[in-house]
Amino acid sequence: MVEATEDLDRICNTLDKLTLDALSLMEEEIQLKLIMENSMCGGEGHLAKARYIMGQSNVSFLQLPTENSTEFSAVTKVFTNEEDKLYGEKSFELRVVKKDEDETVHDPLKWFGYLVPQNLNYAQNMFRQALQWAIEALNIQTQLRETVRKIEQLKQVKANIVLK
Amino acid sequence: MALHSALKGKLISVIGDEDTCVGFLLGGVGEINKNRQPNFLVVDKNTAVSEIEDCFKRFVKRDDIDIILINQNIAEIIRHVIDNHNSPIPAVLEIPSKDHPYDASKDSILRRAKGMFNPDEVL
Repeated sequence: MVEATEDLDRICNTLDKLTLDALSLMEEEIQLKLIMENSMCGGEGHLAKARYIMGQSNVSFLQLPTENSTEFSAVTKVFTNEEDKLYGEKSFELRVVKKDEDETVHDPLKWFGYLVPQNLNYAQNMFRQALQWAIEALNIQTQLRETVRKIEQLKQVKANIVLK
Repeated sequence: MALHSALKGKLISVIGDEDTCVGFLLGGVGEINKNRQPNFLVVDKNTAVSEIEDCFKRFVKRDDIDIILINQNIAEIIRHVIDNHNSPIPAVLEIPSKDHPYDASKDSILRRAKGMFNPDEVL
């Protein structure tokens, strides 16, 4: 009986700690997404300026590759960090693939022509920043998912002890 | 062994409106693989819900995609499919769009986390 009470106390303390962790992770994820939103807004502003200079249809989905285009590899890929585990889950890391590692990569700016306004370069930089923030938010989301899973497990254990 | 797996990067796929797709593809996430499959989908007002659902399910099945970025307003359209996706890989990140700012109350993962604060379960 005393043991069960001690176990219950330990579980409740752990649940409290995990709940506080979950709340701060939720806040952190929201903050990161808002920062990402700012980067995206900046990038979209530069895209709009580039459209104003080059024409509406010259900065649009028409420049994007389709299924009929030649195959090419992504310049920006994501790698999982096996050694650095957050809460038992692997974390993501963004990396740029260089031309000497994979010959089919090329700068996406080339889809829009060879002499593009600086605004497209700025837009590219802002969206690259947005990608970094997205990966940070994703790593926090992974931690949050794991914390919520642990909370649910502990709640189940707590319910089993209380029912006894 | 670790170096080999470190060299094999995985893709970030995008399901979004025109500006989101153009922007992130400018950032370098786009790819057309040898099966002529793109890792992005531009969604406009004429895109059918079934097309978005099928695209999401295709991206989930692909083993070369680890992350799916999806505009939150598009995620709302296929909410039932996203809520049924429980595996950590590929990870789904709901992102804001030009016309729809980020709303934390609609985010799948945050809603699930908020759901654990259920007063009925307090013992």
